[in-house]
Amino acid sequence: MAATRFLTIPDVYERFIKGKKVPEADWDYKIIPQNASALKEKYNIKIDTFIPEDKAQKDALFQAGLEMLVETGFYCQDLGRVLKVTEEEVWEGVKRAPKKLILGEGRDIARFYPRRGNSSVKPIIQGGPTGSPLSEDYFVKIMQSYAQEGIVDDLVNGVMTTVEGKPAKSKTPWEVRATMQELRATKEARTRAGRPGLGV
Amino acid sequence: MDMTGLNMLAGWTVAGDTIMIEQMPIFGGYTGGVEETAICDVATTLASFALFCGNFHLDGPIHIRWGTTMAKETLQVAGWACAAVDANTDLLLANQYYPIAGPCTEMCLLETAAQAINDTASGRELLSGSAAAKGVVQDKTTGMEARIMGNAAAATAGMKVSEVNEILGKLVPMYEAHYTDAPAGKTFQECYDVTSVRPTKEYLEVYDKAVATLESVGLDMSRANCSGIRVCKN
Repeated sequence: MAATRFLTIPDVYERFIKGKKVPEADWDYKIIPQNASALKEKYNIKIDTFIPEDKAQKDALFQAGLEMLVETGFYCQDLGRVLKVTEEEVWEGVKRAPKKLILGEGRDIARFYPRRGNSSVKPIIQGGPTGSPLSEDYFVKIMQSYAQEGIVDDLVNGVMTTVEGKPAKSKTPWEVRATMQELRATKEARTRAGRPGLGV
Repeated sequence: MDMTGLNMLAGWTVAGDTIMIEQMPIFGGYTGGVEETAICDVATTLASFALFCGNFHLDGPIHIRWGTTMAKETLQVAGWACAAVDANTDLLLANQYYPIAGPCTEMCLLETAAQAINDTASGRELLSGSAAAKGVVQDKTTGMEARIMGNAAAATAGMKVSEVNEILGKLVPMYEAHYTDAPAGKTFQECYDVTSVRPTKEYLEVYDKAVATLESVGLDMSRANCSGIRVCKN
């Protein structure tokens, strides 16, 4: 049946609270492995290279993954419930997703477009520690070391371990303060590298 | 998904923010082997857009034993899942980097290059990294790892996938043989001049050695200089 529309976050919440109750252990140890294994057999998926070279192999894996989502659903561990989604709703969500994004500002922007296979256009290089712990004292310098690389098109920051000497502990005000300081420090780093518009 | 994540998404969607949904399937965990993990990776990639309003997806298949995204099996999961989604949609796909070895070591640079080669040839649009030393040791990441990631990607862009598979078949065993004695590497403070923010001569020499090794397995790194220009900039 055709979808009424793509799903919004409130739609997803409403589906979760009306979803079937499933113990988390059943989800993790039974439902996921059993369903994935059955779909591997159904679609005859055999991975023997790093990257598939045959279109039929790609399509088989895509169909298996799509069926996994539609037939199995998605779990919310806080509610202990499983949401169901139809294939048509999945496609509405795919259609809704942007196919082009602009990262950064001014002369330093990077355009985030579909490459479609191994295009001769290289991917966007997002340089940074990707969540690795960085000391407060060296945060700006380490981020600058990424921003000054010519091949880097965009930045991802690390995690500041302390703020004003205090541990940036989760679920405390120091966590929020550290997050804001990371953003300011990353912007300072890109400016020091002469690329003030790099996406952060 | 938990309620904290869902509530944050409720705010971001209304605020008009660009939303990246991150998900790291664990090879050897609940999902099982390479094929099963790849199926779940495709499923959760689609869910990121269909259920959670993602604008782009950040993958990161990780090995349950080694804690790296560059093991043979995790590269296969990432390569197949990306190629499958890329062949059937125009979704924007990214991947993140967790090598075992630390900065200023050839192994760290080769691990990072291998994933960049794999990600580029399988069709990803954005590479995010690199979190050297598994991303868990303070100050053990530097811009030089991003340099090899970017240049290896640029050198790979446009190559035949069959050629890329051959290169990876030679490259990956070179570092996988050292998982149990992987070099810890150096901190940023030890491999950069922290005043001028320039890599040390030692690190530049290690970098050149890694490039030579990549050339020896068939990757023409000189292509990075022309291919890099073709990134979608202004």
